[in-house]
Amino acid sequence: MNRRTPRAAATGRSPLWRPMFRRHRRQLALGYLLATTHQVCEALVPVAAGYVIGLAVASSSVPAILVGVGAILVLFAVLASAAAYGYYLIGKAAVTEAHLQRVAVVRRILTDPSVGRDRQAGELLSITSSDTQGATQVMETVGSLVAATVGLTVAAVVLLRIDLVLGLGVLVMLTVLVGGVRLLSPYLERRLSARQQAVGLSAAVASDLLTGLRSLRGFGGVAEAVRRYRTASRLSLEATVRATTSNAVVGTTSRLATGALVVLTAAVAAGYAVEGRISLAELVTVIGMATFLLDPISGITRSVQDLAVSWASGRRVAELLTSSAPPTAPSHGRADGPLRLTDVVEDGLGPLSLELAPGELLGVVTPDVATADTLSELLAGSRAPAAGTVLLGDVPVADLDPGSVRSRLLVEPHAVHLLGGSLAAALDTGAGDGQVDLPAALDAAALRVDDLTGHTGPAGSGPPALSDIALLDHGANLSGGQRQRVALARALLADRDLLVLRDPTSAVDAVTEDAIADGLRRVRAGRRGTVVFTTSPLLLSRCDRVLFVGADGSSTTGPHGDLLALDAYRSVVLR
Amino acid sequence: MTARGQDAVAGPSRDQQLPVASGRVTAAAVGRAAMALPGLVASSTAAAVVGSIATIATPVLLGRVVDVVIAALDRRTDVQAALTPLLAAVAVAVVVGAVLTSLALREAERLGASIAADLRERVVDRSLRMAPQTLERAGVGDVSTRVTEDVEVFTRSVPTISAVINSLITVGVSVVAFVTLDWRIALAFFTVVPVYVLSLRSYLPKAAVLYAEERSRASTRSRVLLESVHGSRTVHAYGMGELQADRVRGASEAGLAAALRARRAFAAFAWTMNAAEAVGLSAVIATGFLLVRADLVSVGDVTAAALLFHRLFGPLGILLTSFDDVQRAAAALARIVGVAQMDPPTSRVRPPRLATATVRLTGIRHAYDDGHEVLHGIDLVVPAGTSLAVVGESGAGKTTLAAIAAGVFPPSAGTVELVDGEDPATAVDLADLDQIDLRSLVGMVSQESHVFAGTLREDLQLVRPGCGDEELWAALDGTGAAAWARALPDGLDTVVGAGGHPLTAAQEQHLALTRLYLRDPPVVVLDEATAEASSAGARELERVADDLLTGRTAVVVAHRLTQARACDRILVMADGRAVELGHHDELVAAGGMYARLWRTWTTSGRDATA
Repeated sequence: MNRRTPRAAATGRSPLWRPMFRRHRRQLALGYLLATTHQVCEALVPVAAGYVIGLAVASSSVPAILVGVGAILVLFAVLASAAAYGYYLIGKAAVTEAHLQRVAVVRRILTDPSVGRDRQAGELLSITSSDTQGATQVMETVGSLVAATVGLTVAAVVLLRIDLVLGLGVLVMLTVLVGGVRLLSPYLERRLSARQQAVGLSAAVASDLLTGLRSLRGFGGVAEAVRRYRTASRLSLEATVRATTSNAVVGTTSRLATGALVVLTAAVAAGYAVEGRISLAELVTVIGMATFLLDPISGITRSVQDLAVSWASGRRVAELLTSSAPPTAPSHGRADGPLRLTDVVEDGLGPLSLELAPGELLGVVTPDVATADTLSELLAGSRAPAAGTVLLGDVPVADLDPGSVRSRLLVEPHAVHLLGGSLAAALDTGAGDGQVDLPAALDAAALRVDDLTGHTGPAGSGPPALSDIALLDHGANLSGGQRQRVALARALLADRDLLVLRDPTSAVDAVTEDAIADGLRRVRAGRRGTVVFTTSPLLLSRCDRVLFVGADGSSTTGPHGDLLALDAYRSVVLR
Repeated sequence: MTARGQDAVAGPSRDQQLPVASGRVTAAAVGRAAMALPGLVASSTAAAVVGSIATIATPVLLGRVVDVVIAALDRRTDVQAALTPLLAAVAVAVVVGAVLTSLALREAERLGASIAADLRERVVDRSLRMAPQTLERAGVGDVSTRVTEDVEVFTRSVPTISAVINSLITVGVSVVAFVTLDWRIALAFFTVVPVYVLSLRSYLPKAAVLYAEERSRASTRSRVLLESVHGSRTVHAYGMGELQADRVRGASEAGLAAALRARRAFAAFAWTMNAAEAVGLSAVIATGFLLVRADLVSVGDVTAAALLFHRLFGPLGILLTSFDDVQRAAAALARIVGVAQMDPPTSRVRPPRLATATVRLTGIRHAYDDGHEVLHGIDLVVPAGTSLAVVGESGAGKTTLAAIAAGVFPPSAGTVELVDGEDPATAVDLADLDQIDLRSLVGMVSQESHVFAGTLREDLQLVRPGCGDEELWAALDGTGAAAWARALPDGLDTVVGAGGHPLTAAQEQHLALTRLYLRDPPVVVLDEATAEASSAGARELERVADDLLTGRTAVVVAHRLTQARACDRILVMADGRAVELGHHDELVAAGGMYARLWRTWTTSGRDATA
C-alpha cells in the first residue's frame, strides 16, 4: 500500500487524517449520526422523567402516564440502538484503520532498509503497535466530540426555553466549573503517567529476571534479585499511592463542583417554581439536567486533549510512511556475471582484488570481527568502498535493484533471526525457483527433524511435518546450534547465485561441523558461488580457495593447505 | 539436541503446572494481606458507606424540595423557612458525599495496591527460589506467566476493583434508600435484576471465549510484529519484505476479525443494559404514579426515586461492564496466590563451608516427563581441584548430565554429592540445599546467558551486592573482560541488557564467566559456555574459562575438543551412557570413540601440514 503523497511530505508530516477519514466516510458518517442521537437521547432522559413526573404523576392522569411511560420506553429504544450500533461502527472503522496503518508501516520497514537505518528497533515497534492505534483513536475522539457538542446544545436549548436567566446562569457556571476542574488535570496526568511508568518498571524488572532465570540461578544471584525486585515493587507502590491521592483531589473537586451547581440550581429553580415563573415539571427537569450536564462538558475538554495525543501519534506514523526512499538508480548492465572486487580499499582492508570463479567455494579468514563485518557489508552492497569497485556482473552491488538482489545475492546476517511460528515458515523465504529441494537443504545443514522435536514420537509414526514443529519466540526453544543450522538450511534453500555466510558453524560440534562442510560442497560447489567467513579448518579445507586478510589489511589467496605455511594464518585457524 | 535439558521443544506436559489456589484459599490469602493493614480496611469501608449515604441523600433531599414547592403552591406556606434548612442539608450532603466518596476510592486503591505489591513480591520470591524439580516440571514459561502477566493483570485491575467495591456499596445504600422512601418503589427498582441477570448470563460465557480468542490473536500478532522488526535485516537480506509483510497482514487480519467479533458481542450486551435501565425507570415512575394516586407517597418521593435511579446508571454500568475484568483479575489472583502460598524451599542440612570439593555422582538416571530416559546410570567422581570435560555427539545426554551435576534439577534416580576435599567424611547431597546455599558451592554457566537490564555494575552486583568498583574492575581484569568493558561508552555505568548498549554474544559469555569469577565457588559447571561466540571469540573465551577452572573442581561440556584436551580428564558419552573416561593422550591412544572425534576435529588442519 503506497500512501506516499508528495504534499504530505512537503508540509512537514501532518498526520494522514484526511485519507483516513475518507476511507471510512460512510461508516463514520452513520456512526457519528447515531452517536449524536444517543447523546441527545441521554440528555432527554431527565427531561422526559421530569415531564412525566411533573405532568402525569402529579396530576394522576392515566392517559398521561401511559403516554409518558410509552415515551420513555421509545426514548430508550432509540438511545440503546443508536449507541450500540453507532459506537460499534465508529470502533470498527478505528480498529480497521489501525490494522491498515500497522500493515502499511510494517511493509515499509520490511521493504525499505533505509527506514530502519536511523531508528532503533524499539522505536519502530512503538510506531507499529501503539502509534497506529493512537493515531486512529482520533476517529472515536471526533465521534465523542460531535456527540457531546450536540447533546450539550440540546440540553442548553431545553434549559434556555424553560427560563432564559436560569439557563444562562447554569451554562455560565458550568463553563467556569469545568474550566476550574480542568486546570487540575495536567497535575493529575503527570501523576498518572508516573504511576504507569512505575508499574511498568516493576513489571519490566520481573520479566527481565524471569527471562534470565537460568543464568540468575546458575551464578547464585537469586537473593539479590529478590531484593532488587522488592525495591522496584515498593517504588511503584509509592507512585501508585501518590497518584491515588491526586486522583482523589481532582475527584473531590469535580464532585463538589457538580454538587454546588445542583444546590444553586435547585435553590433558584425552586424559588422560580414557587413564584410560578416555571412549572413543576420544569423544576424537576432543571434539577435533573443540572446533574447531567457535567458529562458532555468534561467529555468535550477530554476529547480536545485526546486530539493532541492522536495528532502526535499520527505524525510519527506519517513520518515513517512518507519518508522519501533514497533514489534507486536503475541498474544498467547485466547483474548475472561473477563477483569481482577490484582494488577495494576500506577500513582495515585492502587494496583487495578478487574474482570469484563460477561455482567457487571461497573461504574468508579475517583477523577480527570488525574486518569481517566491513567485508560482508561491502559484499551486501550496504556499504560502498572508499576506493575500488565491488561488481556483480557489470553492476556495483550497492546499486543493485531489490529485484536483482532477490534473485542473485544473499548475505546471511551474522545474528540468526528465524521468522515464523513453525519450522516450515522459518525455512520459507518466498524463493520459488531454487534448484535445491527441502530434504537436500536440511541434509546439507545436518539438520535432522528428529533432533528438533527432542526424539521421535510413538514408534512407527514417522517424522513430524515441518509445519507442526513450533518455533517459540524466534526459535528460543531451539539450542544455538539448532538455530544456526536452521538458518543455514534456509540460506541453502533460497539457492542464490551468490551466497555469503558468516561463521555458519560456530555453535555446532565437530562431527556436525564436518557434515555441514560436506553438505555445503554437495549443494553449492561447481554450481553457485559461495563465500564463507570462518576460522574452522574443517570448513576451510573444503574450500576451493581461501582469502586471508592479515592484521595490516593485506590479503593472500590460496588453498587452505598452502596458506597453512603462513604463521599468521596458522595461528588464526588452528584450534 | 545439544540442549535437551534446557530447550526441549516438546515442553513440560500440562498436568505438571504450578498450583492454582482455590477460591477459598485465594480469599483467605487476600483477607490475611488486608488484615495486615487494618487501618486502611476500616477507613476505606467507613468512607465508602458514609460517602454513599451522603451521595444518595442528595436526590432524596431534592425530592423533598419538590414536595415543599408543591406544598407552597397549594397552601402558600412559608417557603423560605422550609427551603433554607433543606437546601443547607443538600449542601452538606454534597460536600460530605464528594469528600468521602473520593476518600473511599483512594483508600480502597491504596489497600488494593498494597495487597498487590505484597503478593507480587511473594510470588517473585517464591518463583526465583523455587525448588529445582518444581521449576523443571512446570517450565520457566508457566512461572514467567505468573510473575509477569498475572501480576500485571491483577495490579492494573486494582483501580477497577476498588471502583467496583465502591459501586457495590453505593448500590447497596441506594437499595436501603429506596426501601426507606417506600418499599413498593423499592420492589419496582428490583425489576432491573432479572433483566441484568438474563443479559449477563447470555453475555459472559460468550465474552469469555471471544476475549480469550482476541487476546490470543493479539499476542500472535505482536509476536509476528516483533520478530519482523527485530529480524528486518534478515528480511532485507532475503528481499522477502513483501512475503513477511503479508505474514504480518495475515496475523493482523485475524486479530482484527477477533476484535470485531468481541465488539459486536459487547454492543449487544450494552443494548440490554440500556433496556434494563428503561424497564427500571418506567417501573419506578409507573409504581410512583399508582402510589401517588392512592395517596401513599408524595410526588417528591417519586422525584427522589427517579433521580436516585438515574444516579445509579453510573455505578450499575461500572458493575456490569467490569464483570469481565473482575473475573480475569480473580483468575490471575488465584494463579498468583497458588505460587505465593508455596513453601519456600530451605536447606535440609547446614550448608558446609568447603574450600575444595569432590563431586560424586552415583547411579544417575534421568527421564523427562514423557518417560523418555536420556541418562541410563552414570557413576562418576570428579576429585577436588580437577577438571572433567564431557564430550560426545549431539543428543548423548551431555547437557542433562551437566545440569544434574550443577543441581539445576535433580536426577530421576541417583545422588549428586559434594565431598569436602580436606575431610572426606563430610558430604552433602545437592538435593538437600536450597538455591542460595547451593550456589555458594556450585556455579554454572550455560550456552545461553542473559544480560540483565541495567548498568554493567548492577549486572555484576547481582552476584555480590554492594560490591565496590575496585573489586568489580579486579574481577573484570581477572577474566580479561576489562579491555572491552573500559571501551564501553560509560564504563560500569553503561546500560546493558534489553534496550541498552548491545553486547556481542562473546561479550555476554565473557560477562557470564566474570560473574562466576566474582561468585568464586569451589565447583563450576560450564555447558558449552563458549559456543555462541564466533570462532575467534571462542578461543579467547576458552582461555578465560581455563583460568577460571584452575584450583576448582570443574565439569565442562565442550564441543571444541581443544577445550576438552586442556581438562584433566575427559568423559565420552554416547546415548546416555559413559563410554570412555581418561586423559586426552590415553583416549587418543586407545583408539576408541574419542580418538575418532579427535581425528575429525583435527584432520583437515593437521593432515594438510603433514
